[in-house]
Amino acid sequence: MSTRADVPRGVGQVTVSTVRRAVLWVPDWPVAAAMTAAGLGSEVPAAVLHGRGMVAVSAAARAAGVKRGMRKRLAQRACPELEILPYDEGRDSREFEAVAAAAERVVAGVEVSRPGLLMIPADGAARFHGSEEALAEALVESIADYAGYECSVGAADGLLAAIVAARNSALVPVGGSADYLASLPIDTLVLAAMERQHREAVEDLAGVLSRLGLYSLHDFTALPSADVLARFGPAGMWAYRIGRGEDVRPPVLRRSEDDIAVEYVFEEPAQRVEQLALVAAHVAGQLDVTLLEAGVRCGRVCIAARTERGDSLERVWRTDVGSRSGAFAKHMADRVRWQLEGWLSGTSQGPEPAPLVSLTVTAQDVIALGSEQAYLWGGVSGADARAHRTLERIQGLIGADGVLSVREQGGRDPRDRVLTLPWGQESAPSRRIEHPWPGRIPDPAPATVLVTPQPLALLDAGGQPVTVDRRLGMSAPPTWVRLPVDPRDERMATARRHPSSGHVGDVGEPSWGLPQPIESWAGPWPVVERWWAPDSTRGAYVQIAVREGPAVLASFSGGAWALEAVYD
Amino acid sequence: MSTDDSATRLARARAALASVHQKVGVERVPDEAPALPLADALGSLLPQGLRRGQVVSVEGATSLMLALGAEASANGSWTAIVGLPRVGVVAAARRGIELSRLALMPHPGVQAAQVVGACVDGMDVVMLGPRLALSHADRRRLASRARERGSVLLVAEPWDGANVSLKVESSHWRGLGSGDGRLREREMTVVVGGRSQGSRRRVNVTLDLDPGVAWSRPGARTVIDEEVA
Repeated sequence: MSTRADVPRGVGQVTVSTVRRAVLWVPDWPVAAAMTAAGLGSEVPAAVLHGRGMVAVSAAARAAGVKRGMRKRLAQRACPELEILPYDEGRDSREFEAVAAAAERVVAGVEVSRPGLLMIPADGAARFHGSEEALAEALVESIADYAGYECSVGAADGLLAAIVAARNSALVPVGGSADYLASLPIDTLVLAAMERQHREAVEDLAGVLSRLGLYSLHDFTALPSADVLARFGPAGMWAYRIGRGEDVRPPVLRRSEDDIAVEYVFEEPAQRVEQLALVAAHVAGQLDVTLLEAGVRCGRVCIAARTERGDSLERVWRTDVGSRSGAFAKHMADRVRWQLEGWLSGTSQGPEPAPLVSLTVTAQDVIALGSEQAYLWGGVSGADARAHRTLERIQGLIGADGVLSVREQGGRDPRDRVLTLPWGQESAPSRRIEHPWPGRIPDPAPATVLVTPQPLALLDAGGQPVTVDRRLGMSAPPTWVRLPVDPRDERMATARRHPSSGHVGDVGEPSWGLPQPIESWAGPWPVVERWWAPDSTRGAYVQIAVREGPAVLASFSGGAWALEAVYD
Repeated sequence: MSTDDSATRLARARAALASVHQKVGVERVPDEAPALPLADALGSLLPQGLRRGQVVSVEGATSLMLALGAEASANGSWTAIVGLPRVGVVAAARRGIELSRLALMPHPGVQAAQVVGACVDGMDVVMLGPRLALSHADRRRLASRARERGSVLLVAEPWDGANVSLKVESSHWRGLGSGDGRLREREMTVVVGGRSQGSRRRVNVTLDLDPGVAWSRPGARTVIDEEVA
């Protein structure tokens, strides 16, 4: 090995600065986390299945012959009593919080590189504990005591060497990383890739390199760096630097801070809004004081209320605390009041109304005072602040749900393509706009979209209703269209209700206007949505242009025509 | 000597005339409010632009109303739409209205006067739907408030004393056939009148311009579709 280290390096050889770091590795983390979540003991053979193969295998299962990447059926053949657990990235991260917290009992700051791998700058921590051996011992003990996992700790200069050292529980001496890495196989590089996509890219690269005859890291890093960049691009350059024991970036330490939150527990469950309004003002005032004491401000506030029945009602509101320095408490109190009013009166969606037992207000997007970031081209303009204040004032007049902000979302018919939310409330659209939405009604979009479809009559040349059959055949080309008279136009409605205008049937039925001749039309365009679900819809759309008038979009479903939108 | 004398006399006479003009007020310096940006296609409707503080009534076409406010919204103005629960938000976005600076108040109810008043104070462009609960006195008050604040009121119904009133007489869509094609291009005939206009005049406006239509006969089966090509 030592002879290899003496071989001169590539042309781009420069001295590199690396951070001495200790790495804490929990073997087979996905399966360890899944077993903890499922309440299984460590002696049970278990594996985590994702897609078609096993992504992580416990020690007991490995002893029975199950390997990573095995298909489910093969694994069960090797070990019939194997517990197969589902893959869940969220669970992996959640469970790893306990490990990170246990490590933070020993050292001041850690970086969670990925669930299962912690990184700690070793210099200061080793000095504090006396030596790196002592630090490693303290870490392993703390994790075993407080989190209940077996882990191994290693230390080295540079990222890749430290990760490999952790897997071998080795402490690589200072300056020895390059030698330590030189003889390792080329696919060791994969260990340093943290995200899944990146890992796949590095796996591909390692495959290419080994087919080129570069089997060890030393073979690869002996190449001139300019050639590596020219041939393999940025991914190759990253691997080249990692393989030489360099650091790509310094560790980013997380600071564990508690959420800034204020909770109010009602002595007896509260039911009336008047009761809550006072509490809301009190809680908002407290949050304001707490934020001020911590020297921070927040961009969003989450208001959560818990009911007697155990339901919780949570909403996130945007606030611009900077634009209303003194009025924060009142502003927040209004938000709390609106949310609870809407919920208690049953107008907004949510769990069934029940008396409240507690109210929590949590500050999110917390930033230190004075470090908030303005827009790229200057701060919030006066007009923006004025408009926000105006809209809040109107919300005070007609309620939070009276003022809506709108966003576009994915969908096929014009009504589905809009997401409306009370002004200031935040929520992500559930229908992605970038999905293809085949069968979408083509542009231009109609300027008037009816909130609920209105009945419409489409007649052929002989005055018979036009229908669309299952194979999208029109019974006859439509010639006349009749719209109902606007019910608010009473004179017209009454006039058209007379039998001489062709009105038959009940007085309560809509009275139809005069039939208008259709100039041109297009369709029918079928739209079948969610056929697998109980709320499936099946229909056909037709665009109709009337002479001298606006065009309309009509839909046919369930044997009846409806007016959906007007291109006016 | 005589030419020089006549030149000075002419200059003196012109100065005297100018001072009289200024005193009597024949030549008034126009103190017009600044205009909000307007799309080029609508220049023929409002040659003097969308002046701040004006009331523009737009009858018969929601899309024309959206188009009038679109360019201003794209350039940073705030827009409020009051009493139009059926407005097509996607159409507004396609016309250029920035949705993050748009607020909808679909049902102001009996508090319409206060809501619109607040909007006039705080927003640049306020679009009003038909049949809002506004009395004549409310309307006069709102118009003068808009003039003072420099915001533009676009109203979807006739409005007494509107600076400009636009009434869509007819609209003609192209692109549909008999069972084929799709809506592509629209031409509107708009009657322009109002207080700050001269005589009433008719203007043809093409609102949705589709380059694909010029290639083909409308409604023909041989439409060269840019989506297919």
